[in-house]
Amino acid sequence: MSTTAGIYTFRLRSLVVLVIASTISAYCFLWPFFLNAHSSAHHLNNQIFSLVGVPAALAVLIVEISDQRLDAKSVALLGVLAALTAALRPMGAGAVGIEPMWFVLILSARVFGPSFGFILGILAMFVSAFITGGFGPWLAYQMFAAGWVGLGAGLLPQHVGRLRIRGKTEIAVLGLYGIFASLIFGLLMDLQFWPWALGSQTQLSYVPGASIAMNVHRFLIYHFASSMAWDVPRAFVTSVLTVITGPAVLFAMRRTKRRASFLTPIEFRASRSALIERVRQQREV
Amino acid sequence: MIVFSGVSLIYPTSTKTILEDLTFTVAEGELVLVMGSTGSGKSSLLRLVNGLVPHHTGGILAGDISVNGISTREVKPGGFAHLVGIVGQNPLNGFVTDIVEEELAFGMETLNFAPDVMRKRVEEVLDQLSLAHLRDRSIATLSGGEQQRVAIGSALVMHPKILVLDEPTSALDPIAAEEVLSIVHRLVHDLGLTVILSEHKLERVIQFADRIIHIKGDGQTLIGTPQEVLKSSDIAPPIIELGRALNLPDISLSVRDMRRVTENLRADLSKIDVPPAPIQTPTAREVVIVDKVSHSYGSAPALRDISLAIRAGEIVAIMGRNGAGKSSLLRAIAGILKVNRGGISVGGINPLELHGNERTKTIGFIPQEPSDLLYGQSVLAECRAADKDNRVNEGETFGLLEKFVPGISSKTHPRDLSEGQRLALALSVILSAKPKVLILDEPTRGLDYAAKNSLIATLREFAVKGCTTLVATHDVELVAELATRTIFIADGDVVADGPTIDVLLSSPAFAPQVAKIMSPAPWLRVKDVVAAVYTKR
Repeated sequence: MSTTAGIYTFRLRSLVVLVIASTISAYCFLWPFFLNAHSSAHHLNNQIFSLVGVPAALAVLIVEISDQRLDAKSVALLGVLAALTAALRPMGAGAVGIEPMWFVLILSARVFGPSFGFILGILAMFVSAFITGGFGPWLAYQMFAAGWVGLGAGLLPQHVGRLRIRGKTEIAVLGLYGIFASLIFGLLMDLQFWPWALGSQTQLSYVPGASIAMNVHRFLIYHFASSMAWDVPRAFVTSVLTVITGPAVLFAMRRTKRRASFLTPIEFRASRSALIERVRQQREV
Repeated sequence: MIVFSGVSLIYPTSTKTILEDLTFTVAEGELVLVMGSTGSGKSSLLRLVNGLVPHHTGGILAGDISVNGISTREVKPGGFAHLVGIVGQNPLNGFVTDIVEEELAFGMETLNFAPDVMRKRVEEVLDQLSLAHLRDRSIATLSGGEQQRVAIGSALVMHPKILVLDEPTSALDPIAAEEVLSIVHRLVHDLGLTVILSEHKLERVIQFADRIIHIKGDGQTLIGTPQEVLKSSDIAPPIIELGRALNLPDISLSVRDMRRVTENLRADLSKIDVPPAPIQTPTAREVVIVDKVSHSYGSAPALRDISLAIRAGEIVAIMGRNGAGKSSLLRAIAGILKVNRGGISVGGINPLELHGNERTKTIGFIPQEPSDLLYGQSVLAECRAADKDNRVNEGETFGLLEKFVPGISSKTHPRDLSEGQRLALALSVILSAKPKVLILDEPTRGLDYAAKNSLIATLREFAVKGCTTLVATHDVELVAELATRTIFIADGDVVADGPTIDVLLSSPAFAPQVAKIMSPAPWLRVKDVVAAVYTKR
């Protein structure tokens, strides 16, 4: 028995590539802490690696994903939602980190699943870079981070035991996730920027070859000092928008999902009587 | 070309079969009309042709469908892209680009055609559909008929052998509809294109159809020539009803044939003196007053110095081409559009100053797309909200709705309703506030004859209670049945304003079928003719 095409989900091979690509880019986010060598040549190598590694990992991942055929309905959904998310991003005019895009990403990923959420995240970031003119070495990092935000939202449990997470509980969970995701996104962006940001002279600067504890300490001070003004408003706006629009948006998206009839069985029968027989069987089951 | 053998269909979540054991063959170069009431499975039948059903929707399909020798069981819809061109109900939903020429090229671009082939085919289609002068225009600025032609054109560039059209003229004015249908007719005859189309406004298409597939309410189907099918069908356009009422032996499909058949009858009838319908000079007070109103969008004038007075209890039809200014006028009266110049009063108040409850009690406005009014997540939620907003007893709105469309499911999402049901819901929501003036913009789009009759009955009842109704519509048959007064607008000007019968009879393009057949006698409806025949006897 065949079915209509399903919503986009990673196949096993894509999943493996995703894990490898994520590990590489996670290393590129975190390299300042792992590096023990004192030589500046080694330091330079790592900087180059971090500039090249993330885009390369992303490129490999995208090639792998696009090797799998996307159904027309998934393409349409992905296109519309990515355009919407990307268009919402500059709506806050960049003021203190207010980017009213995250709630759409989180709610979409909740309904359409982690694979869809991941792709929507990277796609929306990429498209919004066209709108905001934000092309640069940071773009690949932003895309990965947004992909992870979507992936995480898609992975939030639908059930606890036998209890379905729906209604107020669901909204509360998503609102909390909105805060968490916004803060993590801010942290990751700071991590990516920090080694380059301050030069090597200040007390908060990255010190190549220093102990992990020292660099983490310096980073956290940098993070809180310079960025809480961005991350807290972002978290606030995201969770408030998620909670306010959540019920209506989730309803609309779930309805879309139902109407798109993903994975609906298709059967063929020889004649009308065979069809009636089949329907009778179904009803008995 | 298309072979259906023993086709029955059932959708996954339903237990009711749509289409029962449908068997037919469509030869190359045939134009086949699919008719049936709303929800009877017309769209399903059309979408079975290229396998969208069941490959995109799921469901169980019995029997077999083959198109040009390929079975839809084995080949997915994409595999029919070169064979079947499909144009949906609302062409705007299918457009991808902004410019006519780019839209025509889009399909070929996605299939990686060579640029010179694309160039050639775009030119060819621009000529075939008389779109050459519109090639650089933005699609959003085109009229409905032009948009429909662009949609058909973008299907034709792929050189399909079969064209599937879902209600191609339901949103168009009579002239634009004629334009689209005559082009389709020409494509069938010149290129041997096979066309399957569905349509509610049968009076527009039956004369072009080679055969009709009539899907009845119980899923049974009748297939045959238009004469065979229309002889006994429960839905029929006025021309057929006239033929039946006059007991004519043969069914005539066009005004020309019907005039030939009724020549003697008309001569007989012309001898009797038909008393002109008593025209009552309305004495009720004037409710809507439009005083020298002008409006323009940017540099494009939409309304030019219009003055009108509409009295309580009148049912006024506003007619005119797509883009003539009908919607602008209605929106101005409803207080949604702030006009550049002139004054409007509804019940003595400027509609722009009406707010909240006072507004809903004075003006009820139903826009072209009734779902713009519906925000509830189910029919019942929508009705409850209306009860509360309009401060009426709980259940009153739903009661009204039950009267229009009995047996509607209260749990359905408003956007999942059929076109007619959605209009009925919007109408119930508006009417539960008991407004003094009811304004409807193009209400009959997608309505079948039964839904239209129930709309007419409702609006009449409403008018008897002394309320005023304004309807902008392309549907001349509706106007003939419903309106007491007709205003004809062209290019922002009032061209004609008077009793419906005078206005409709003076314009050949906008005259209803019965009037065209019986001309010069002043009858608009089948029952007028029947009444005249009886008085003669």
